[in-house]
Amino acid sequence: MAMEVEDLGHHISRKFNEDLEHVRSSVLAMGGLVEQQLDRAVKALSDADSQLGLQVAEDDIKVNRMEVSIDEECSRILATRAPTAGDLRLVIATLKTITDLERIGDESEKIGVLAARLASVERPSTNYRELRNLARHVKAMVHGALDAFARLDTKGALEVVKADDTVDEEYESIYRQGITFMMEDPRAISRIMDSTWMARALERIGDHAKNICEYVIFMVHGKDVRYTGVKNIEAEVEQGVRRQESRF
Amino acid sequence: MTLPNRWTSQLAALAGWLVAALLLGWWFGGVGWWLAGALALYTAHVLRNVFLLEGVLDGRKRVLLFATRGLWAEIFARVDRVRAKARNRKKKYHRLLREVRESTGALSDGGIILNAEHEIVWFNPAATTLLGLNPAADIGSRIDNLLRHPDFVAYLAEPLPEPITVPSPREEGGWLTVQIIPYGTDQRLAIVRDITREVSLERTRRDFVANASHELRSPLTVIAGYLDALADDAEMPPSWKGPVGEMQRQAERMTRILRDLIELTRLEAAGGGAPLEPVDVVAMLELMAREFPAAGNRPAVSLKIESDVALLGSESELHSIFYNLVNNAVRFTPPAGTVQIVWKTEGDAAVFAVVDTGIGIPEEQIPRITERFYRVDPGRSRASGGTGLGLAIVKHALQRHEGKLSIRSVEGQGSTFACSFPAARVAFRGGVAQAAL
Repeated sequence: MAMEVEDLGHHISRKFNEDLEHVRSSVLAMGGLVEQQLDRAVKALSDADSQLGLQVAEDDIKVNRMEVSIDEECSRILATRAPTAGDLRLVIATLKTITDLERIGDESEKIGVLAARLASVERPSTNYRELRNLARHVKAMVHGALDAFARLDTKGALEVVKADDTVDEEYESIYRQGITFMMEDPRAISRIMDSTWMARALERIGDHAKNICEYVIFMVHGKDVRYTGVKNIEAEVEQGVRRQESRF
Repeated sequence: MTLPNRWTSQLAALAGWLVAALLLGWWFGGVGWWLAGALALYTAHVLRNVFLLEGVLDGRKRVLLFATRGLWAEIFARVDRVRAKARNRKKKYHRLLREVRESTGALSDGGIILNAEHEIVWFNPAATTLLGLNPAADIGSRIDNLLRHPDFVAYLAEPLPEPITVPSPREEGGWLTVQIIPYGTDQRLAIVRDITREVSLERTRRDFVANASHELRSPLTVIAGYLDALADDAEMPPSWKGPVGEMQRQAERMTRILRDLIELTRLEAAGGGAPLEPVDVVAMLELMAREFPAAGNRPAVSLKIESDVALLGSESELHSIFYNLVNNAVRFTPPAGTVQIVWKTEGDAAVFAVVDTGIGIPEEQIPRITERFYRVDPGRSRASGGTGLGLAIVKHALQRHEGKLSIRSVEGQGSTFACSFPAARVAFRGGVAQAAL
């Protein structure tokens, strides 16, 4: 919370504070919508509810509209307030975060459409257990990323970054399993292709959640940790947290 | 006015000092010096006591009794009493606060205090577990930043008296209700309750009714089929004609009940609002009026269309609302009476009403008649062929269209059932074509 206290609380212009706070809240509101979209898309799969799946696909436009409006607000703040330091990082991280959120929305739309298609074909006896499992992990990641954004909690962000490895492994195993099944039973190819695509979409959502966490670390500690590996990110977070604590 | 004892003794002491100084001055000479000395000593005594008193009031020292009686003893004793009282009060408040803390901590419902900006001021441990809040970090954060479900965010902006249900952010498949209660100036209390168990019980009940209805339907179809064949059989002894006919009617009634039960569970399970498809109400009502032709044992049904607005909703559900209400009116109105179907607008709202001159409903029963299988007069309504589910279906289908059912009735003179649909569900005929695109 150190940054919020220090950087969001001390502007002479109250309006500026309110603007920044509003942008932050809008991002989280968009995050809430995206979470709901993902949740419903996964529910469409587990309940074989094609109507719900198509509804999710239709509702993606709401996510897109929110992205455009937050984007505009950020541009306005950049143009009129010329923010610096922590404020600038907040605006930049916001701009990047909404792009990733919008992508998560797109992937959810994809999952919705695929779920609607899978609802009409024969289902495996496990009712796609491994997909639902993967989805649970991915949902927890998105939730954790947004929590980290809300609390400016870099340790929480780090946890999410670490969780991405599990998701990648699970995706890998679903992919391999799919290949085996397709060789065993060529009639199931189209269904397994669809479910593999869905796993792929979920895996991508995990990546986007990870990106958001990296922006949170950038926003709070001012360090760009993309493409540097989990170990380095961990070191940066620890260093950043220590620096922050020593300031008090 | 009489001075209290301690003051007279204090003044007497001062007078004694002065008299002694005068006497000594008179004896030894230099009265002025003796008097000044006595006054200086007295002032020093007073100053010392004032100094001690200041220390006591500052809370630096406890009160020691420097004098056992007189003015100063009284003053110190009083200060001591006041301080003891304050100490006790403080202890009492501490205890009270701790009790409040402990009791709110023991509550299984989460409680969160919010200020006007939706920022979290305080929350209890149950809120921590139910919502995943962090006591160390989340005080002062906006609650909608942490509880981001779109339904909750909308509810927070405009709290309604009823709680809303949102999926639990912590547990997969968990459900919570949140209710926001404003109090004081700009303060708000959010009550969070875990209803996962209720939701799953409700679902079990619904699934049971739906499954039972479906399972009963197939054997019933077989029975009804054989009964039809029997009734048409020319070789059947005449003495069996009556019983078979009765069996046929009862089988048909059971089929109707099952159909209504399935419809009702479907409406309950659907949840949320009905779709916004344009429905041409006028055409639907014109067709419906023709379904109820006046016959020897039935009243005449007339149509009074005062508006041509259409509704946005589900065609089949709206049909079932209108059909059930008209059917009820026809069943409870004697052949000589009349039933009138009305379609009109009242301000922004559209109103569908059925006015009959039937037997009416006793006033005290009106609130209960939308309950499942509730019958005003069991004998009569069963004889008239009702399933006991019609009004329950009407109620649920109306809820899905944000509509309101109002019932006015005078026993023996007739009833009026009116459904009012809000402006958001009303489409003008020109608008129907547009909405259909």
